[in-house]
Amino acid sequence: MNRLVAALLVCSLAGCASVAKVESGPRTIGERMTVNLDGAWNHVTAPNMGPAQTWTMEGLPIDQLLIYSGMKDGQVMHAETAGSGRKSFAFRSTMQPDEIVAMFEGMLTRDGSSFKLVKLEPASFGEKGFRFEYQLIRKVDNVQLSGIGYGSVSKGELFAIVYLAPRLTFFSRHQGRVEQIARDARLKI
Amino acid sequence: MRRRDFLAAGCACGAGLVSRLAAAQTPQTPWQAPPRFARPDVAGDEGGLWAMMDRQETKLRQSPFALRDPKLQAYVQDIVCRLAGDHCPDVRVHLVRTPYFNASMAPNGMMQVWTGLMLRADNEAQLAAVLGHEIGHYMARHSVEQLRDAKSRSGAASFLALFGVVGAIGQLGLVAGSFAYSRDHEREADRIGALLMRKAGYDIAEAAKVWENLLLEIKARGEGAEKTSPMFASHPPPDERKEVLGRLAQESAGGVSNEPAWREHVKPYLREWLNEEVKRAQHEESLALLTRMIGRLPAEPDYTFARGEVYRLRAKGSDHDAAIADYQAAVAVGGEPPETHRGLGTIYRLRRRPLEATASYRRYLDLAPDAPDSAMIKSYLEELRT
Repeated sequence: MNRLVAALLVCSLAGCASVAKVESGPRTIGERMTVNLDGAWNHVTAPNMGPAQTWTMEGLPIDQLLIYSGMKDGQVMHAETAGSGRKSFAFRSTMQPDEIVAMFEGMLTRDGSSFKLVKLEPASFGEKGFRFEYQLIRKVDNVQLSGIGYGSVSKGELFAIVYLAPRLTFFSRHQGRVEQIARDARLKI
Repeated sequence: MRRRDFLAAGCACGAGLVSRLAAAQTPQTPWQAPPRFARPDVAGDEGGLWAMMDRQETKLRQSPFALRDPKLQAYVQDIVCRLAGDHCPDVRVHLVRTPYFNASMAPNGMMQVWTGLMLRADNEAQLAAVLGHEIGHYMARHSVEQLRDAKSRSGAASFLALFGVVGAIGQLGLVAGSFAYSRDHEREADRIGALLMRKAGYDIAEAAKVWENLLLEIKARGEGAEKTSPMFASHPPPDERKEVLGRLAQESAGGVSNEPAWREHVKPYLREWLNEEVKRAQHEESLALLTRMIGRLPAEPDYTFARGEVYRLRAKGSDHDAAIADYQAAVAVGGEPPETHRGLGTIYRLRRRPLEATASYRRYLDLAPDAPDSAMIKSYLEELRT
């Protein structure tokens, strides 16, 4: 995430990052996933941001909602930095929920941040899936964050959302919206 | 008493080694530990650096990554004091929860020791080898030379990474933060570290093993990995390092490794540190590390379980077979982590072996009824029942 923030800063200064408003109401993400938003979000795009859509309410790096729609077997889940020597995390269609959560954990802690799983339970996300809660201590600034995620694997493809915001004030401010997105998510068969 | 004898003998041998080493380097001026450093004038560049490191140390004390265990802290501080001699009062050890191989020492005396290093040390002497190396940089004031060099080429970021500055970006890696000194500085720190080890009564042969073990992990990344590793970009080649340290050890054989004391002190954290290691998802490196550890300590179920987890998460070829074998080996030894049974249950469930999956998941919930994933496991049990 540090690299993402740094990249966004550089891109913003260079004029290559953009933020677009995502209006409330039904939205299609990718080819098969539809969500229904009860309020507007900000969609941040920049080179090297990876396959997930990155949305935010407060602005990066305060909070972020990563949305994965239709990740295929073997597809890398994040932007890769050439020559960094860092591990890449790729989705496998045979992954179990705990393995998918471990994959997200690995991604979120590539900068040395600390992740603690609080809960993993069955839940609906378009179809039969899972929900997880976690806490993260961000290495770069020691900020303590809370997060939730939902996911399901449909026809071998991964659909998931992962939200993250500072534990104080911000997480509780937007958690309800994220839960609502998950509840209303639909997948085209 | 025995330990004190060893240390006394070590001091005597160390004194001889000091003169031999010094003779090999600069016959006219044998290396001697410098007197304690006075705080530099804050108006100068070195004083400014100390002030910056003081602020970082304040942050580090409050950091949620700080491992606050007075017993382990005192133990590591004692090792440092035996190495640092007169400088002992100036060196403050901070244990940091980060699963990478690293220790660093700032010029103001702030020493960081990361848990990934402690996981990898086989004994007290191996930790002392790394800490002695860092104290070597400190005593030789390499950081001041680097500071002036960094200022001349605007290399501030890599310079700060030398000290594992809290929040510094980009210094993470298997040997994070250890690649910005020059090769000559590293060679000198190796030699001073070996001298300090010997004076403190440790077996220098353990220093060579540290780098040998680390090389094993780096090579596990794949062919040519050691050439692209930041560790070796500015450090002496590993073969040279092994050879030099090995020669020093031969010239002054003996000393202690203190493995039982080391094991006793790190035992309470072993499960947590192994968990962090597995979560790094650097599967090949972890397998190299864990296979080496299992070879040394086959009766320790946590290592066998951790390797089983790495195999299960990597899931290539026959990895699930290897995972089952490791999980079962951990169970056979006894005292295995509850998650051993979750791992077995997951693979059995994937293989459509409902009886074994059910038994394993039930055992997991018996041992860890409040596990964060208990609701998920109960849903699997329900699914297996129907």
